[in-house]
Amino acid sequence: MEGALGLVIVILTAITAIAVLVGRDWRSVIAALGLQYLWAFLLTTSSWPLELAAVKLVSGWMAAAILGFTILSVPQQPSLGSQTWQGSGAFRSISAGLIILVVLGAAPRLAGWNPAIGESQAAASLLLLGIGLLQIGFSSSYFRTVIGILTFFSGFEILYAAVEASILVVGLLAVVNLGIALIGTYLILAPGMEPRS
Amino acid sequence: MSSTHLWIILPAAVGILLLVFRMSPRATFLIAIGASVFLVWAAWQLPIDVVLTLGPVSLEIAPSLVLFGRNFTLDSFDKPLLTFIYVMQTLWLFGTVIVRPNRLFIPLSFIMVSLFVAALAVDPFLYAALIIGMVILISVPLFAPPGKVPTAGVMRFLTFQALAVPFVLFTGWLLTGVEASPGNVNLALRSGVLLALGFTFILGLFPLHSWIPMLAEDAHPYVFGFLISFLPSIATLFGLSFLDRYVWLRDNAFVYELLLVAGSLAVLLAGLWAAGQRHLGRIFAYGAMVVIGTNLQAIGLAGGESVQAFFALLLPNTLAMWIWAVVLGTFWSLTKGQHDLDEVKSIFRSHPFFFSVMVLSIFAIAGLPLLSSFPAHLAVWSGLAQFSSWAAIASLTGSLGLLATGARLLFVFFTQRGAQATKNFGDEVATSKIEILDIKNPINWAFLGIAVVSFVGFGLLSRFFLGAVPALAAMYPQLFP
Repeated sequence: MEGALGLVIVILTAITAIAVLVGRDWRSVIAALGLQYLWAFLLTTSSWPLELAAVKLVSGWMAAAILGFTILSVPQQPSLGSQTWQGSGAFRSISAGLIILVVLGAAPRLAGWNPAIGESQAAASLLLLGIGLLQIGFSSSYFRTVIGILTFFSGFEILYAAVEASILVVGLLAVVNLGIALIGTYLILAPGMEPRS
Repeated sequence: MSSTHLWIILPAAVGILLLVFRMSPRATFLIAIGASVFLVWAAWQLPIDVVLTLGPVSLEIAPSLVLFGRNFTLDSFDKPLLTFIYVMQTLWLFGTVIVRPNRLFIPLSFIMVSLFVAALAVDPFLYAALIIGMVILISVPLFAPPGKVPTAGVMRFLTFQALAVPFVLFTGWLLTGVEASPGNVNLALRSGVLLALGFTFILGLFPLHSWIPMLAEDAHPYVFGFLISFLPSIATLFGLSFLDRYVWLRDNAFVYELLLVAGSLAVLLAGLWAAGQRHLGRIFAYGAMVVIGTNLQAIGLAGGESVQAFFALLLPNTLAMWIWAVVLGTFWSLTKGQHDLDEVKSIFRSHPFFFSVMVLSIFAIAGLPLLSSFPAHLAVWSGLAQFSSWAAIASLTGSLGLLATGARLLFVFFTQRGAQATKNFGDEVATSKIEILDIKNPINWAFLGIAVVSFVGFGLLSRFFLGAVPALAAMYPQLFP
């Protein structure tokens, strides 16, 4: 998926990734994550058959939904409080800007590693990897760290889709994505659960 | 029936059943230990890819199973390793009788072990990274039990291990490219850097080691011990597959130098850090890091002997880790989760035998002569002295640090006034006369017996106890022709 359409999707990916990074309200973060999976799916369709790429979209949306419903079911949302939201929105945006600068330089080189990797795929992938790492580094809350890990994985999957199309890998990656979301859910809910001997 | 059904699907099914159908702890334990002993017997006795005729019934265990177009292969070369893995799983299950960890431990440990075996069986072997990632996810509930706030160590463990998966997977693709065009130095360099980064994350090597002591500080030591004993061992075996598979990697001297640097640094730093620790859990964590580092040093020596040295270290060190975990788990229960030396030392006097085997574990891992891992340590140190004197010095310094830790624990044991100190924990020992509690239970006797046999057996009768090492090394035919 190259050309203008590819560029548009990369820009949309950047917008949603930054929204995930700077968003204070969990609803906007989950919505942005869902959209991020949609863009990742579109970029993956150029490497994988539609039905295989759809697995990625569905598993991503399921992961986002699992996290969303979990937050809904928690009376208080301590993991999203301002105490754990380190750094201001401006600082986060500037950090994301730096990632974008790095991506602009590195994406063409990464695309040169293998003809199967398109520039738009390389750019979106590096962007998500970078924003995911920023998210993990900035946050001490389980919710945001899990979102960061999912974003990082999403970026990796775009790149990996260009070089590997095994059904087993697609399935295992989907299981890992869902597993990360479920573990995130568990970590958010565990303190309120009844202890088992 | 295939070997995959027997050693991967069956234990996973047992684990899932035990998880879903909540039974009494006794029933759970008996089913689990029965299944585990059966799997040990099957790995030890049943031939793979040979038709067995039992009267009218003929049975053949096929070595491969195709799943989603990919093979899971466990052939006769893997039998010694399968036996070892399930012997260790049996011991970890046996230890639950003494330690009594979280109820999730038995079912989840079964599922985790089956996935570890799947990671070793999957072909292409690169997909093992994903399976190891799944193991990490499954292990998280053990470290963050219901009703407790998950600690920062759990989050860091999850994050670091999750980050390892993409690095290793992507490296796999790059390595294939390097194999196709061996002259491409840039590609080789990129793949090498990514591979090193991936394994640094998985193995918790310096400077990405912080999750190990953080996790050990708050987690139940038995659960932590299980993970830190299996995960790096399986990851190192996975790493050996890279060396076995790719000629250019195997023949590259820089790879071995890198392994020596990473391993020596891990041993040196972990040994020194352990010497300065007062938290038993963190000491355990640094002990585990010494084990990981020593394993890497063994592989870094290069050649067939290096693989043998690795397996010769793996067997006694894994046992020592189990023994250490059982003792720490027992102390953890008695002190209700306190592991600071000042808090725990009161327990030492009432449990002198457990305390002794814990100190012996530390000494064994450090490579003290006559103890279990000394013969393998000697081989590694001799090799290091030939190849790189600084690595040998770093390794010896790290081992001395761990020895100093053990010596300090002995000093605390002999200098504290037991009767006064025991008032903190357990009314049963808060008397003027110290009662020895750790030999009251026959199960504890069995545990102490296994500990003594393993320490002395591996140390003094190493030819007998390490007889399986060449068979284990034969799993890697290119590395150990």
